[in-house]
Amino acid sequence: MKTENVLEIKELNVHYTTLTTTVVALKDVSLHVGPKEALGIIGESGCGKSTLSYAIMDYLPLNGASTGQILFKGEDLLALSNKEMQKFRGNRIAMVYQNPYSSLNPSLTIGFQLEEVTMFHRGFTREKARETAIETLIDLHLGDAVGIVKRYPHQISGGMQQRICIAMALLCRPDLMILDEPTTALDVTTEAVILDLILELKEKYDMSMIYISHDIGVVNKVSDRIAIMYRGEVVETGDKKAIFDDPQHPYTRALINCIPRSGVVKEHVKLNTIPGYVTRRSAEESGCPFVARCEQKNSTCEEQYGMKEWAENHYTACDRAYATDVPAKKLQVDEGSIPDTGDAEHKNVLELDNVYRYFGHAGKRVRAVDGINLTMERNSVLGVVGESGCGKSTMGHTVTGLYPPTKGRILFDGTDISVSWRKRSPDVLKNLQLIFQNPGRSLNPSFTLEQIIGRPMKKLLGIESKQERRKLIIDILKKVDLGEEYISRKPKQLSGGEMQRAAVARAFSISPNLLVCDEPTSALDASVQASVLNLLVDLQKESGASYMFISHDLNVINYLSDQIMVMYLGRICEYGTKNEVVGSPHHPYTEALLSAVPDVDPTKTRGTIRLKGAPPNPTQKIVGCPFSGRCHRKIGKICDTTPPPKVDISETHYVYCHLPPHEMDIIATKKGM
Amino acid sequence: MSFMKRFLSRLGFMALTVVAMSFLIFLLVEIMPGDVAQTVLGQAATEESVAALRETMKLNDPLMVRYGRWASGYIQGDLGESLYMRGVQINSIFWRRVGHSMLLALSALIFYVPLSIFLGVLAGVRAGKFSDSVISFLGLATMALPEFVSGILLITVFSVNLNLLPLTSVIPIGQTLWQNLEILVLPACSITFVMFGYVSRMQRSSMIGVMNSDYVRAAILKGMPKRYVIFRHALKNALLPTITIIGMNMGWLFGGLIVVETLFGFPGLGSLTMTAIKTRDIPLIEACVLFITIIFVFSTFITDMMYSFLNPKIRFKREDL
Ligand code: SF4
Ligand code: SF4
Repeated sequence: MKTENVLEIKELNVHYTTLTTTVVALKDVSLHVGPKEALGIIGESGCGKSTLSYAIMDYLPLNGASTGQILFKGEDLLALSNKEMQKFRGNRIAMVYQNPYSSLNPSLTIGFQLEEVTMFHRGFTREKARETAIETLIDLHLGDAVGIVKRYPHQISGGMQQRICIAMALLCRPDLMILDEPTTALDVTTEAVILDLILELKEKYDMSMIYISHDIGVVNKVSDRIAIMYRGEVVETGDKKAIFDDPQHPYTRALINCIPRSGVVKEHVKLNTIPGYVTRRSAEESGCPFVARCEQKNSTCEEQYGMKEWAENHYTACDRAYATDVPAKKLQVDEGSIPDTGDAEHKNVLELDNVYRYFGHAGKRVRAVDGINLTMERNSVLGVVGESGCGKSTMGHTVTGLYPPTKGRILFDGTDISVSWRKRSPDVLKNLQLIFQNPGRSLNPSFTLEQIIGRPMKKLLGIESKQERRKLIIDILKKVDLGEEYISRKPKQLSGGEMQRAAVARAFSISPNLLVCDEPTSALDASVQASVLNLLVDLQKESGASYMFISHDLNVINYLSDQIMVMYLGRICEYGTKNEVVGSPHHPYTEALLSAVPDVDPTKTRGTIRLKGAPPNPTQKIVGCPFSGRCHRKIGKICDTTPPPKVDISETHYVYCHLPPHEMDIIATKKGM
Repeated sequence: MSFMKRFLSRLGFMALTVVAMSFLIFLLVEIMPGDVAQTVLGQAATEESVAALRETMKLNDPLMVRYGRWASGYIQGDLGESLYMRGVQINSIFWRRVGHSMLLALSALIFYVPLSIFLGVLAGVRAGKFSDSVISFLGLATMALPEFVSGILLITVFSVNLNLLPLTSVIPIGQTLWQNLEILVLPACSITFVMFGYVSRMQRSSMIGVMNSDYVRAAILKGMPKRYVIFRHALKNALLPTITIIGMNMGWLFGGLIVVETLFGFPGLGSLTMTAIKTRDIPLIEACVLFITIIFVFSTFITDMMYSFLNPKIRFKREDL
């Protein structure tokens, strides 16, 4: 029996005209969404995912034009006038956006913003509309629904705001809900709760859904069918399992393989990379969109390109993912041992002794780092993971001396460096480098790479000769896969990935002993992230430097680290080797965090632990365990009143928690990843 | 509630500013070159008579004592006696002038605020279209004209050529402003000329910003009609910066209209200040400048309060749920 599709997009083309050029945003996109079906759309940034959703809502910027058909239950939305379209928006088709905070009007109460939807579309009175709003909020498990409608958006947490936005989309019980990266701005534990909620509501309201994300794990969790987009085209669609188990398009395969996920660690696997980056598409360009970056391309690519049915329900524009007529790329982990650096006297490259870092004044004091004790071994990678506001970045910045610690001591190779970088010796500065999340802001835009990389060489290494410096700069640029020609380029001329490579090159040009990496890949697309991660792994092996790698992404941390430290609200929850923390976690927060990470493997689903609420206000003075307000295993009053003791699990593994040992063992045997 | 706290702290701050400013004004006038008694008596006066006058005016007392006397007089509502027009109580001329200025300021406000906001919103909503270009051009053109040029232009067109309105804004002796309301029109227009470009451009750009915001997009994609989105979702947020601008110019409007008032011969506070300065009438200068200062501080205060009242982010603090 063939049921009618809720949405059918036929040959949709969208282009933007600017003064000088025409940019193709969508090219011949054909997709359909069946009743109650969840279609996941995956793509890197700039692949037209968002344009697609706005095209469905008929909301393109003035310079955008579309051709084709968008049939919603048989009616062509593109042919409708703006007035007619209003009846669909928010009523039959509703949308949820990436940034809940800015999507809510700051000067109107939440209640008002919910009520107007049904008042317009259903002609409800305000009383009735409020009733419906509260009912819907209760469906979303918002405890105090009656209280929330009286509040303003800034008075509630980000996770809560996104639930309000979802409620807003659900008010008229739409047939189709479009979710555009709805959890990207949220923390991983909040994300997990929202994803569960979305699935639950989809069942409850019999909706169809389009879920757009760059995050393959998230899409895997919520969708039935998946479409992969690349540069404005759909390159492959199919059932979730088919896409993950048997991808046919070289891009799909490459994309899936470049994401670090459970079981993928640097010791065994090198991440797949896709050379180059996503470029804009001009009107003249035809043929395969991926040709510039494809490693399976051959002479037939031009003519044969086009959507074909590969198997039942599985369509692909190219089936050369496993083509053997081109030599396969070899990605091998070289097993060379890491050279030892520094004097052997100090086994530990870094020691933090009860380090505190506060911001603000008394009364409004933010305890960003609240008593950290830590030792980092030489030649190791310490992954620091935690959600936003847990103090991981502040700790990294304190170590690098962006600001001195409020209290406590930092020892680097045995030297006390508990001061700001201005007061540190050149030797310490040389050996302790920092890479930021946003390389665009840390590289001086008016300098060329030669100047940017050469400066620390001259100042800290004392290499005076320009020729000598240039030679070294070219060497280091080659190491980070940037050619010699990059030496005269300025940051503006580089893509995001290239900029981060340049930042890595600058840091490594003076062979530091310790590199603090603060979310260095979070702003990058998956394919580019993989290449930067590979680069960091290679350089560490080669130079023997140690890394403090700070990230919110457990998969990345897991891939890269030797030791992992989990932080919450400025304190350590758990510390141990990678296998210990990921393989047998002993702290409830680590457990929750691991359970929240969406898995890329479609066969695996795991129960996520729903944490209550949001992290408490960091200005609050915490007496007991910082996690006690949200802990799902809280044992009682002691958690609120007494700071949890350090419990040694093994020589290298400890947690701060009141739980009795047998309960910790339960966490460990349930296992996270 | 944090709004109350803010209110009280700003109130205190305002009082402090006024006190500090009054002292500063007193001091400034004090260090102005020339001796007061000498000025009063003229260059021909003998030293003895100057000394005697200094004595009667108690000019020889220490600075703080004189300031105290001056300030306490003000608090009791006594602005002192004019130096230039001997024997005339400043009170008797000052408040009438203030009244005139207020009336002028109010009529200007009634003219330009709705006009600039309306056209600014219109331009913002239609950004890039023809109506926007016209409004933006008008704004730029009027902004580029200094008020004496636009004033003269207005006089030439409406008084000289069309003979519709009086040439100057002088009130005939024995009459009040209320009997001569038409004299307000040209000065008010001239102020509108100055303010229109300023305020409407502000309104336009804040409207564009708000119309491009995520929450306006969200409202449109909720299926709300465009008009409703503009008035219910966008306008309130887009008004906030404009209110600040209007409020900050209030002080200027209520007393700083020296050029406009002088040009039209309007009997307001601005022209009074001008006269006081020209005749070195020190007590009058002090009264004028202090009053203008108070208006400035007060309007800033009102603006701040209005802004925080309209902005729920300030009115309601974030509570943790
Ligand atoms: S093999 Fe050819 S057609 Fe297929 S993705 Fe690569 S370049 Fe495109
Ligand atoms: S100390 Fe208590 S509240 Fe904190 S993590 Fe352990 S069980 Fe949970």
